[in-house]
Amino acid sequence: METRHLLRPLSSLSSSTTTTATASAMSSSTSPFTRSIVAAATGRRHQSTTSRTKKMLKIPPHPDFLTPREGESHIIYNPPSAAPSVYHTPFKFLPKTDPRRQANLTQLIRSSADLSGPSANANNLPPPSTKREGAPKMYNVTREQVDEMRTLRAEDPAKWSVQKLAERYKCSHLFIMMCCKAGPEHKAQERERLEAIKARWGPIRSGAREERKKRKALLFKGAI
Amino acid sequence: MTIRALEKVSVGQNGVGAFILQCKRMDIHYCDYSGSSRGMNAFIKSQLAKFASTHPQIEFAVSPRPRKHPVLTGHYINGKHKSICVKNMDSLQILKKAELLRDASGEKIRKVNKPITSITESVRGVWSPYHGKGMAV
Amino acid sequence: MKRIRIDRLSSQLLAATPARPPPSSNRIPRALAASRLSPAPSVCQTRCQSTAASPEVIYEDAGRDVAAPKPIDYSKRPLPSPHPDRALRSAKLAALHARLSLSSKIPLQTLARTLIDPSADAHPRFNNVNLAFVGAALLQYHTSEFLVTRYPRLPMTILFAAMKGYAGVPALHQIARAWGIEAAATPGEEVDPGLLQFAPDRPTVTMNRWGYVRAESKELQRYKWRRGVSSRILYDDAFGELVPGESEQSHDGLELSKQRNTKDMIVEDVAQNAHANFVRAVIGAVYLHCGRDVAKTFAKAHVLSRQLDLANLFNFKLPTRELVRLCARENFDAPVARLLSETGRLSRTPVFVVGIYSGTDKLGEGVGPSLDAARISAAINALKSWYLYSPGDTVGVPSDTLAEDAAPWKPVYVDIGEIIS
Repeated sequence: METRHLLRPLSSLSSSTTTTATASAMSSSTSPFTRSIVAAATGRRHQSTTSRTKKMLKIPPHPDFLTPREGESHIIYNPPSAAPSVYHTPFKFLPKTDPRRQANLTQLIRSSADLSGPSANANNLPPPSTKREGAPKMYNVTREQVDEMRTLRAEDPAKWSVQKLAERYKCSHLFIMMCCKAGPEHKAQERERLEAIKARWGPIRSGAREERKKRKALLFKGAI
Repeated sequence: MTIRALEKVSVGQNGVGAFILQCKRMDIHYCDYSGSSRGMNAFIKSQLAKFASTHPQIEFAVSPRPRKHPVLTGHYINGKHKSICVKNMDSLQILKKAELLRDASGEKIRKVNKPITSITESVRGVWSPYHGKGMAV
Repeated sequence: MKRIRIDRLSSQLLAATPARPPPSSNRIPRALAASRLSPAPSVCQTRCQSTAASPEVIYEDAGRDVAAPKPIDYSKRPLPSPHPDRALRSAKLAALHARLSLSSKIPLQTLARTLIDPSADAHPRFNNVNLAFVGAALLQYHTSEFLVTRYPRLPMTILFAAMKGYAGVPALHQIARAWGIEAAATPGEEVDPGLLQFAPDRPTVTMNRWGYVRAESKELQRYKWRRGVSSRILYDDAFGELVPGESEQSHDGLELSKQRNTKDMIVEDVAQNAHANFVRAVIGAVYLHCGRDVAKTFAKAHVLSRQLDLANLFNFKLPTRELVRLCARENFDAPVARLLSETGRLSRTPVFVVGIYSGTDKLGEGVGPSLDAARISAAINALKSWYLYSPGDTVGVPSDTLAEDAAPWKPVYVDIGEIIS
């Protein structure tokens, strides 16, 4: 009795909404809202979850597992969608005497080690991670320039900072630091400045730095 | 040489390489007079010698416990023990219980809802969304 | 029936040397040397608890070298460890024998002897020192040949750590626990022979460490001198750890005992050591009674069949630089980090997948929350896959050729060495 009472306004509502909705949703044939309303009106309140998921999971097999049309013999090759294990030695690392290198498995190992694509041409490689990565070394600083760099740094280490010198001679910071050393008083001054900055840090920032150090240590252990 | 080593200890699994029976000691308690021990007394008389000789890995200790029900207790390598009261059972039932204690590992009974428990890494690795060719669904 | 201690009856026989270690090894067992040279361990093995007995004991020890002490009724003194004849009547020992599936050639008395640590009974004919020495030599030999042939490129530090992971004291302690060994509360004559017997509070008993004792070991400990990895291969013990010097042990015995009483960690180490020595002694007993092949099978089944993930042992410091050096050494193209895939670069939790390429070959790849972290982990993975190269599970070990009618030895791959950067 009560269900009928309940159903009647629902059905009337649905008929009214469908009529109104058809006008608005002519282009998009069935919006989910109207579909659910229609389902409710016809008495099917919901779809069975099992049947729905079963239907959703019915997908054709991966193309690697399909037999070719000619019916000729073939090898199923479907590399795992997982990070490669370190126990799978890359082809380049195999020693000359290794049977894997001697057997005619070259192509297979090459393609299995390389997940970026089927062909590993020089043009087909993924892009370098940074701009400087893989760029040829320039070796553009001459001996005289190094001497000049040293005198500049010795004269006024505050003015000729590492960054300034790197900009001037178009080389890396590391190279500048390899070439010249600042005096002890400049070093002490810099350390003092850094200590003053660190003293201003609150608990959150200093804690974050500590965490970063720990993460770095874990990274080198291979734990993350 | 910049590599330093971390200390790790190898992990063993019983049955890989060598199998060690986990039940190391079985205590058998009986009473000479009470009726609940009748089956146990028969077990001790007729079957215990054979059972003990087929299981030399287990140390058997038979001791009377007057005016108490008969009890079988298994002691395990992991330090736990398991007791079964075998009152009013006949000797065959007690043999079944002794075999149950022998086969137990001593671990707590817990629900096993994975078909395989292994410490060996999967051959195909752990699935990652960033690898593999994927397929259009 | 009481066992008669000859060394107590006559002081001349005290100097009689016990069984010597195998002549092929140039390493000196420390515990053996200590028990042979210093009379101190026999002091500690007296278990007279009464106050009346103790001055007598001290007198006996002090006057040993000078003159014959006044006769003491030794037959009333309790033995430091259970009599060997009691081994036949111990249910625990028989159960242990069967549990380990030992051959019937190994008598129960020998198994009982493997359970007696030198801290319980300092007499080398009744404790497990000699057996443990043989067992340790065998076990370390089999472990090292397994690791070296299976992973020929492992760096030396990792090899030492792997040796320790398989055959070190903590691993052997776990094995002994998994065999169901229980320790006696205190050693003594009345203890069941099936229990492991060691005394954690005996100060004068040296711990059993075997290896080459360096002449400068005292200074190494005191001033923390540097020990190079290549010198650790020649000297020290099988795990590359320093063996403490002889003089330090014998002279500073009192000091050491104080340390041991105060520091809990060292006391715990005594228990671990006793368990480990028991496992070694069992392997030695198997070797003595059943031969080389059975001992090898036993060591394989119980020690080498355990799992140790060697990839987790590495702790790198400069992985990228080391990879560059490797590629330069092997004449590969210089490594380049390439971005394989990424997600959420501008979000709070980005993920980058970076692969390291040498020419067109991918050497390794890593995932990280920043480009730098991903690059470092990719370099680490590339180096690990270099170091963890394995010729396969079926590669033979040198001890296979010791058997009769064995196939001639096929040389295994030998690497030129680790990367120096």
